[in-house]
Amino acid sequence: MGCWFSKKPKRKLPEKEPTTKVEENTTTSNANNIALSSNATEDPPKQYSWDKREKVDPKDFMLTGLKDATVGRLPGKLNGQQFVIQDCDSCKIFVLDHSATITIDDCTNCCIVMGPVKGSVFFRDCKDIKCVVACQQFRTRDCQKMEVFLCCATQPIIEASTGMKFGCFQYYYPELAFHFKDAGLSIFNNNWSNVHDFTPVSGETNWSLLPEDTVVLDHVPAPDPESEFKSVRVSAEASRSIVPMTKGGRRKESDESCLFVFFAGDYTTANARKLIDEVRRR
Amino acid sequence: MGLLSILRRLKHSPDQEVRLLLLGLDNAGKTTLLKQLASEDVSHITPTQGFNIKSMQSQGFKLNVWDIGGQRKIRPYWRNYFENTDVLIYVIDSSDRKRFEETGQELAELMEEEKLSMVPLLIFANKQDLMTAAPASELAEGLNLHTIRDRVWQIQACSAITAEGVQV
Repeated sequence: MGCWFSKKPKRKLPEKEPTTKVEENTTTSNANNIALSSNATEDPPKQYSWDKREKVDPKDFMLTGLKDATVGRLPGKLNGQQFVIQDCDSCKIFVLDHSATITIDDCTNCCIVMGPVKGSVFFRDCKDIKCVVACQQFRTRDCQKMEVFLCCATQPIIEASTGMKFGCFQYYYPELAFHFKDAGLSIFNNNWSNVHDFTPVSGETNWSLLPEDTVVLDHVPAPDPESEFKSVRVSAEASRSIVPMTKGGRRKESDESCLFVFFAGDYTTANARKLIDEVRRR
Repeated sequence: MGLLSILRRLKHSPDQEVRLLLLGLDNAGKTTLLKQLASEDVSHITPTQGFNIKSMQSQGFKLNVWDIGGQRKIRPYWRNYFENTDVLIYVIDSSDRKRFEETGQELAELMEEEKLSMVPLLIFANKQDLMTAAPASELAEGLNLHTIRDRVWQIQACSAITAEGVQV
């Protein structure tokens, strides 16, 4: 017994691919004589926003099977959509826009810069990756030897991964601040250094923090001036970084601390930034 | 359609709590779904390390919802939560095509579980808001749902982050 699941006959829509509507269908009775009735045949099929939107080619949101290439998306070219990176080898990938979520599968020896991601960034089966990432959730599974300059709104997690190194997000390009806003990510809420390991191994650490003086561009180089990204003025200097540098779990230099409270308002972010910059200058 | 119709078929009395178990691969959107069912903020959700549980009232039903972490390493613990489940809600990231086989495999194993036998199954084909999301029909075919004969089941397309398709 069960609810049967049937496809409605394909309807031809002008200038679009035929769509298939799926419905819960008729009654069936099982051995216990419980008839399951559905009124799907009486109600018109429910239309959701994804039924009504324009159909797009998924390939426009994917990078697949590339080698030795400098690729990605310029600001404004992704606009909050999903992005998929898979089977890339020795590539330099720049996703310089905000996105919904990014998955990276089976990639080796790549440098990846990811603009703010509203949801999760999920690396699977990757090796020798150096990346700059800003996201709501950071996840890895079955990865080895990665260096991640991270801005993460929640606790990053790793699973079955080794040789994972983390540092604080440090990056700038002109539209980046807007992209943070579009992705709903705060530049002040960065949990980059407290990583949860689902598969800890006793006697070993699968993850560690990068040295504080690590120079980001030595690990994740700026785009080649001959590439399509030459027009983007990229910087990875700490003083220019959209996300303020934080020590995270590293040992504090002193036990003194100071709490500044900024009340919500139109200039809160700007004022907080100003304070950080001025204090740093001393 | 969806959760409400399955709940109505349970023939529970109004003050009886209905126990819902939320399972699925990691990153499927289970916790977002849980928070959305409870009408709470979904913009700051962290990967679940153990489980989340919420009790709520909705459309005349008292719901007790268990959301269990889905990382591969902790799936063996799912069985600790099977007992007394009234509805199994299996959440799938419809846009993660790379892991369709894996999620199909986990679902198939759940269908074989003694402690879940006859428990109604609601599959949420989640993340329909994303570009590469497979429609529910494609998922149903790929998962061979038509071969499920031993229980009530249903598949519902949804976007937990926007709450479309989620309402009880």
